[in-house]
Amino acid sequence: MSEPLLSVNDLEVEFDTYGGTVKAVRGVSFDVAKGETLAIVGESGCGKSVTVQTLMGLIPMPPGRVTNGSATLNGKNILNLPAAEANKFRGVEIGMIFQDPMSSLNPTMTIGDQIAETLKVHRGKSHQEAFNMAIELLEKTHIPEAGRRARQYPFEFSGGMLQRAMIAQSLACSPSILIADEPTTALDVTIQAQILELMLELQRTEDMSIILITHDLAVVARMADRVAVMYAGQVVESGSVDDIFYRSAHPYTLGLKAAMPSNTHDRDKSLTPILGSPPDLFKPPEGCGYCARCPHAMKVCADHLPDIVSVADGHHSRCWLQHEAAPRVDELHQAGA
Amino acid sequence: MLMYTLKRLLAGVITVWFIATATFIAMHQVPGDPLMNDKAVSPEIRANLEAKYGLDKPVTTQYFIFLSNMLKGDFGISFTQQNRKVNDIIRDHFPVSATLGVLAIFFAATGGVLFGALTAVYRNQMPDVVIMFLVILGISVPSFVFAALGQLMLVNINSFFGYSVIPVAGWGTIWHMLMPSLVLGLTTMALLTRLMRSSMLEVVNEDYIKTAKAKGLSPTRIFFRHQLRNAILPVITVLGPQIAAITTGGFVVELVFAIPGLGRYFVQAVQQLDYTVIMGTTVFYGAFLVFMVIVVDILYGFIDPRVRLS
Repeated sequence: MSEPLLSVNDLEVEFDTYGGTVKAVRGVSFDVAKGETLAIVGESGCGKSVTVQTLMGLIPMPPGRVTNGSATLNGKNILNLPAAEANKFRGVEIGMIFQDPMSSLNPTMTIGDQIAETLKVHRGKSHQEAFNMAIELLEKTHIPEAGRRARQYPFEFSGGMLQRAMIAQSLACSPSILIADEPTTALDVTIQAQILELMLELQRTEDMSIILITHDLAVVARMADRVAVMYAGQVVESGSVDDIFYRSAHPYTLGLKAAMPSNTHDRDKSLTPILGSPPDLFKPPEGCGYCARCPHAMKVCADHLPDIVSVADGHHSRCWLQHEAAPRVDELHQAGA
Repeated sequence: MLMYTLKRLLAGVITVWFIATATFIAMHQVPGDPLMNDKAVSPEIRANLEAKYGLDKPVTTQYFIFLSNMLKGDFGISFTQQNRKVNDIIRDHFPVSATLGVLAIFFAATGGVLFGALTAVYRNQMPDVVIMFLVILGISVPSFVFAALGQLMLVNINSFFGYSVIPVAGWGTIWHMLMPSLVLGLTTMALLTRLMRSSMLEVVNEDYIKTAKAKGLSPTRIFFRHQLRNAILPVITVLGPQIAAITTGGFVVELVFAIPGLGRYFVQAVQQLDYTVIMGTTVFYGAFLVFMVIVVDILYGFIDPRVRLS
């Protein structure tokens, strides 16, 4: 594989709170290659949003703190930069869209002005030029009557239209990476599909990479080239989308798949939940974070954090079951997959 | 926007009519009348005077006479001040009160927004703690205390320089206006500071501020273009009623600084049951306040696009 566009290594992020220090991200590593879509999946509170927001410098520090790790974009460090430095890549090299488009746009500025603002700041365009480009960007995201829409305010847009406008805004400077932090969670299902379709289309035409954060496995299956499954602040399994769905290695991934509703299942059969709840990240467990909920937990899991082991080429898992000292667990695959 | 303005104006007219009617009823409920002062008036003279001023007619007739005169813009002649029309009193003294009030609001608004933003930026740090302490002081200490303290300060400044740098009382030049308007605006400034602070802190956590950061905008640009403009909305909302509080509440400050404003006549008239002056000043003040609130509402519509359509 050639030099990755974005490379994150062993990232650790903590938050000081009144209740103590929360270790939100505990050693996350991943690479994003040019033009690919990496999906980061995991349940609420597993640190997926914190990870990408740290990369964008959106975590307020204090109370947040990067205690370890590095992140490079095109070989250049992007962690812990002062605002002036960070602004050279924020909105330029990396665009970002958020979960709730309704509240993610300034209610007192027109949509066009907000998109134009990025162009004025980063590209030094005049207002008129920038505004015209904003209209083009809105057209690119298939907003009808873009010229009229650009002069409207966010409250005059629907949720799906706002997310389109957000995408248009994030594309203003033709970024090489688009980070989408649960972009469809706040939208209803039909609109979801449209937004995802739009993202795929723009990825092709703009030739950009996407980091997609979601907890919706259906979205992952549709969008991703590669997947990183996060649990309790760590990446527990990563690999191609086929690796994750058809050759799942980590018991947590298996658990997620088992919990997914399916149209082939017996309708009377209830879903299979993952029992228990995630560990307290004020005091993260010494061993594997999933140990307490894992049906395959062993003695070693409780006290020793497993290494990341390569299951196959480009497919990694952080589990003792795949450790070379452990026997291959084929029966596990048959049981869960 | 035009429809919105017209609707507001119509509502304003109705409000003024309501104020006038309520005042008229309340005024006539007060025992006594303008002719019942310390000088003994014989029944004949009294009957003549009542006939002259129309006080012998039934109250409802008086009300309609008053209304029709009001529509013509005529509030009649004062009962207690010889040969002085109510219109003249307003014309002579209102500009003084208005100037004072506008200046006070100006101080209050700029100070409030500035200090509020400052405290929000330096939350829980020294500037915040100091300003918030002063704010509590500003809200809890009544204005006549500040008025007296302000005067004392001017006296000290003047005696330090040996000549009158800033006049201590009276009216006429811009220097006369400085201290009284500052004192008058102080309470409002304190109030607006608090409001602005909490509003700023609320806005800073909004998602669109995060978006602005992710767009790679400089902190200064985010502060002015995205944070301040949204944070200022609640401040503008209370500005209307605050203008009301300041223009009518200027009475005490006007008294301390010997300013020939309308406030004095407003209060005096009530004490002396000077019917025409009460009605004149109340309706005038009412109309003024309603007008200011409308102006603020329209201004609000310009800053917050969401208000325009509704």
